[in-house]
Amino acid sequence: MIPDDLRYTAEHEWVRPSGGTVRVGITDFAQDSLGDIVFVELPEPGRTVTAGESVGELESTKSVSDLYAPVAGTVTARNEALSDAPDLVNRDPYGEGWMVEIELADPSVVAGLLDAAAYEKITSQG
Amino acid sequence: MTDDLLRSPLHEKHQALGAKFAAFGGWQMPLEYAGGGVIAEHTAVREAVGVFDVSHLGKATVRGPGAAEFVNRCLANDLDRIGAGQAQYTLCCDDATGGVVDDLIAYRYADDHVFLIPNAANTAEVCRRLAAVAPAGITVTDQHREYAIVAVQGPRSGALLDRLGVPTDHGYMSFVDATVDGHPVVVCRTGYTGEHGYELVIASQYAPPVWDALLAQGADLGVRPAGLAARDTLRTEMGYPLHGQDLSMEISPVQARAGWAVGWKKPEFWGRAKLVAEKEAGPARRLWGLSASGRGIPRPGMAVYVGDTQVGRVTSGTFSPTLKRGIALALLDTAAGLAEDAEVEVDVRGRRSPMTVVKPPFVTPSVK
Repeated sequence: MIPDDLRYTAEHEWVRPSGGTVRVGITDFAQDSLGDIVFVELPEPGRTVTAGESVGELESTKSVSDLYAPVAGTVTARNEALSDAPDLVNRDPYGEGWMVEIELADPSVVAGLLDAAAYEKITSQG
Repeated sequence: MTDDLLRSPLHEKHQALGAKFAAFGGWQMPLEYAGGGVIAEHTAVREAVGVFDVSHLGKATVRGPGAAEFVNRCLANDLDRIGAGQAQYTLCCDDATGGVVDDLIAYRYADDHVFLIPNAANTAEVCRRLAAVAPAGITVTDQHREYAIVAVQGPRSGALLDRLGVPTDHGYMSFVDATVDGHPVVVCRTGYTGEHGYELVIASQYAPPVWDALLAQGADLGVRPAGLAARDTLRTEMGYPLHGQDLSMEISPVQARAGWAVGWKKPEFWGRAKLVAEKEAGPARRLWGLSASGRGIPRPGMAVYVGDTQVGRVTSGTFSPTLKRGIALALLDTAAGLAEDAEVEVDVRGRRSPMTVVKPPFVTPSVK
């Protein structure tokens, strides 16, 4: 259920490293907790972000939650498809439902994020 | 906390369907189902048929000589507008303040027999208030756990119930006795979704087979079990008030545009003096609809502004799955002089979201 080739945060985000850049999304656990997502607001490419900073919003029919930058760096891309099809986050959270790509300020921080086993412990503790 | 919540007789059915649960008026009820979700469930009700468990709703019987006349002296709507076999939306107001203790449906069986469906959290209080003044010979019985209620709603609701051999062609807001596989049910042409629909009142022990039959028989009609999250988006699109949000002890029927459910010509009902006075003077605030122009989704409690002046607050707000934008019910100060098409702003987490004042419903109802 939790892909083991990704890194995770305690805020239920996933990080897929690729060279000096990471792709970021929210986990299946997170989309299931939110329910049907109807609006996604993402940061503009070019924005500099710090780890833990709120950079966007995910709004479902019943609630809103922040999207946090899992790592520091510069936003290089955002998933424009979510503007018209926010339900991609529910349907394919680890694939088509990705949110942003961030060029890492310091590539070594990825190793400090949670691995799949550590993240699974968080979700199973409820 | 969860252990203190009451459970529907259909609880195990919901568990088997992968429901997410939430507390409603002291009951643990399904919010949405696995493989569905609020938008799919909402859409099924608008376009096909949805089946809701609303067993948390209260049930109470008022019986004895003159029971209907007694209820009519207490509750706000005029029960003499309907005859035996018909149901009516009515209000239980506080006599001293005119505030709304509860909104409820009254089934008129006979002059000596009225069945009430209050909201879950208010059932005991409605029963207490009625019992406290009931004349000798009239009994008020709280039957909250004796019955389940299953709402079958949507354009194909009639087709689905036809397959169960249940009568479906009776008029809007009327009810008939029927059986499903030999189990007695009361079938009422009511609902809270704005669609053609029925509410089935079933003795609790017979609810599971009736629920199973509805889902099994409705498969090719596109039936979905629908949770209370979809019920809320459906009713908000209709502008139907929810007690505790849009109607309450602090929000009178005059303010909430529920005056149509008040029998103004009756000589007596709880809260009459206060409500007549408020109606004549004009309410200080009134419930309006707000329709978002942009991406903001209004939520209960958010402040409504014109410029720097707060002119009201949101009482119910959500994303409308039908319109695909934010909608709200909001109490707006009469002094602000706002009317249909006025532009206002809602403070959505520190950002001003433009919204237009509208008269609900947001979506055209097709209940008849």
